[in-house]
Amino acid sequence: MKRIPCTGCSLLCDDIIVRSDGLFIDEVIGACLKGKERFDQLSSSNRILSPMIKKNGVLEKCSWEDALEKTSEIIKSSSKPLLYGFSNVSCEAQLKGIELAKVVDGFIDSNSSICQGKVLNIAKNTGITLTTITEIINKADLIVLWGANAAESIPRLLNKILFSRGKFRMTGREIRTLIIIDPVKVASFNVMGVRDIALQIQPNKDLELIRVLKEECCVADSISSEGVAGLDRDDLKRLILNLSEAENGVIFIGQGVLRPQSESNLVGELLELVQMINTKQEKGRISLIMMGGHFNMAGFDHVALSTCGKNGGLQFDKHQLIDTDDNIVSKIDNEDFGCSIIVGTDPISHLPLSLSQKLATKPIIVVDNKKSATTSIADIVLPSAITGIEVPGTAYRLDQVPIELKTILNPPSNIPSDEELLTKIIDKINKS
Amino acid sequence: MELYKFLPKTNCKKCGKPTCMAFALDLLQGKVKIDDCPPLLEPKYKKQYDTLKELLGAEEGQKKELKIDVDDDLCDGCGICVTVCPVNARYCPPTLSGKAPDYPPEKHQLFQVKGGKCELLNLEYCRRLEAQGRERECRVCETYCPRKAIKIDYV
Repeated sequence: MKRIPCTGCSLLCDDIIVRSDGLFIDEVIGACLKGKERFDQLSSSNRILSPMIKKNGVLEKCSWEDALEKTSEIIKSSSKPLLYGFSNVSCEAQLKGIELAKVVDGFIDSNSSICQGKVLNIAKNTGITLTTITEIINKADLIVLWGANAAESIPRLLNKILFSRGKFRMTGREIRTLIIIDPVKVASFNVMGVRDIALQIQPNKDLELIRVLKEECCVADSISSEGVAGLDRDDLKRLILNLSEAENGVIFIGQGVLRPQSESNLVGELLELVQMINTKQEKGRISLIMMGGHFNMAGFDHVALSTCGKNGGLQFDKHQLIDTDDNIVSKIDNEDFGCSIIVGTDPISHLPLSLSQKLATKPIIVVDNKKSATTSIADIVLPSAITGIEVPGTAYRLDQVPIELKTILNPPSNIPSDEELLTKIIDKINKS
Repeated sequence: MELYKFLPKTNCKKCGKPTCMAFALDLLQGKVKIDDCPPLLEPKYKKQYDTLKELLGAEEGQKKELKIDVDDDLCDGCGICVTVCPVNARYCPPTLSGKAPDYPPEKHQLFQVKGGKCELLNLEYCRRLEAQGRERECRVCETYCPRKAIKIDYV
């Protein structure tokens, strides 16, 4: 029985069994609810099956010719197009996206820039220790979830990192210590055992905790008796003991740490803390993994880095890459764009209201396979095939490992893949 | 401990066990019956005998039948029960990402995730029925379910 990778989330589980009769998917075995929903999109009522153009405020079906003609018209007529998304498409399509941005002199950015891209940007200066899921399964003895709700955002993650019996850790759960640092008592707390440490930190006090831990790294017994950020002194001592004695520790950083912070450099301080612990301890090391949500969020960073030498936030001018510190948020906030091309994501429901209102004032072209809040206000909607089910490709897992996606079924006859569709748009613009 | 309170606590060894505590433990596991303790049958322990009968009655009265309930509304198919179940672990082949269940399922396999929900295949090989001694008290699937969707029950 063939096992295929699932594109439900960034974990890209490669042990999913799918039974299909060539037209529909019969059974999905091994996938979580998120993965199953992804496979269900094939025949869902939410699927877009023909291109649509907005006429008199209503989206109407049209032919591919008209849709592509209108698309190139909008892009040509407006200066500074904004390309955003690219986290739910294959790396090949991301490459085409960058090419499109180059052709139209646009700004291209992915969801990563408001998520894990921040860590990579800061890591350029400080350095970062990464690890892979297989390494964790085989060797890890300490798992820290920092502001990451693994049980609810990536359902199978805890299963793999905490419960799997690896090569060198035959007993699985028993040998691994779990530490959760979170202000809310999330579902992940339910898998806690006796040796594990639950740290219910006060909201927005992560920086204090990191500074105290750093101090403790340099001078032992420097934690004040009343503790910090609502945490007990003994718990903190156990935390630092676990961190500095772990042979293969992993810190999963989730949205709690990655969330936008105006003043503090939380991620930078965390990276420094990890480095301090790693220099101090002799037995092993602590590594980091960023918990992205979309299945190929890590991919865009790699594609952009290998083609342009910069991860995310690429601004082209006169078909050349120019240096800029802008990201998607500052671009939309300054209304520094003429139209937007959204590929495989739903910014209207992800971004704050103030930003989505500004985004909606300019023409929007959406490339997606399902209806969303963004497609409902878009000017042009271009359907594409579902990557990982109908078209193959490459995607990067959350631990920066490339996984080859496979196909199960053929896409509907008139629906191209993201890559083909972007190529068509580039051709259309080059011709006209 | 609850049962021990109501035993004579004389350590008379008439039941064949070294102490009353040992007898209480065996009583809990269903290896012996209340009537196996001769002093308890004497009239002065009548009240304690009745209380013990009542305490054990709930468990001993009907035939115990193991039931594992999986709540479909709560379950999100994370598959922790599949990985953590010691019976599954024994028979599942190792893959790159830890041990994964085979398909079609092995005959010993207890849990399987299908269509995003966990489903119970068979109970015959559950440790609570098969194993001996302390392993019989296995509750790992219930303990580690992050959604609290699994309930082990006797009906």
